[in-house]
Amino acid sequence: MRIVCPFCGERELGEFTYLGDAKPVRPAAGASEDEVFDYVYLRDNVAGETSEHWYHGGGCRAWLKIARNTLTHEISSVEPAAGVGAAKVGA
Amino acid sequence: MAEFSWVSRSPLQHALVAGAYGARDVEPGVSLTEVRNFELIQIMARRGRWADLASAAKTRFGVAAPDVPKAIQSPDAALIWSGPDQFLVLSKGGKHTFAPLSQAFSQSASLSDQSHARALIGVSGAKARTMLAKLSSIDLHPTVFPIGAAAATSIDHTSVNLWRGNDRPDGQAVFNLLVFATFAESLWHTILDAAAEYGVSIAYAEELA
Ligand SMILES: [Zn+2]
Repeated sequence: MRIVCPFCGERELGEFTYLGDAKPVRPAAGASEDEVFDYVYLRDNVAGETSEHWYHGGGCRAWLKIARNTLTHEISSVEPAAGVGAAKVGA
Repeated sequence: MAEFSWVSRSPLQHALVAGAYGARDVEPGVSLTEVRNFELIQIMARRGRWADLASAAKTRFGVAAPDVPKAIQSPDAALIWSGPDQFLVLSKGGKHTFAPLSQAFSQSASLSDQSHARALIGVSGAKARTMLAKLSSIDLHPTVFPIGAAAATSIDHTSVNLWRGNDRPDGQAVFNLLVFATFAESLWHTILDAAAEYGVSIAYAEELA
């Protein structure tokens, strides 16, 4: 498997580390215990399109958000994770 | 209190033995040159400050800061892309040390002195690409990796900054590798193993190529 890093170009899988599901959003302060439990521990086991965080630790060290099909390993999109490349954003 | 005398030494002080290595019955196909005693400063733009950083870099170095994987040569430094919003400044002779650069980029960036944290190895020779192809998955063909091309990548599970410098006077391409000091010996032995069959010529230098 290869991943096309938006900063580095196409690279082998060995340069990347898998973090996990990119969908969970940290609950607001004061959220219920169930919501926090869900956020920390519960994950869907998707057969098909998923959204995942990957880390290009063996390259540019950027976090990436990748859309991948778990049945085919086909990658349909790779984009910088939130905050990466933030220096280009207006102050 | 005990008196200490701190002497800076290359991370390859023990491993590097100048001279010939590997196949002896051929013209050396790979030449390895370690460059010692350089200044290396990491510069990373603060949030929303890339434009300020780029403009400060232009003022300081007279060239544009790299915002894609490239190494840009100024008259007295190389600016090497190392990731989004960040690059390394490689120079010699105290021209661009940490203190003055901190001043120059105080508004736009965070800096980190890496001068004694990396080893710099230049790989050249007729078999340089063939040898590196055993170790790296980066395509180094001249049409896709010309002079000034750079990559943050891994060789033998070790992070390296790899870039193509100016050709040698004899026209051979030069591939520069910056590696963490504590991984330098390991990478050095890996490179020697990969290069041995082509014959290796080993040296160290005080000047940047
Ligand atoms: Zn990358």
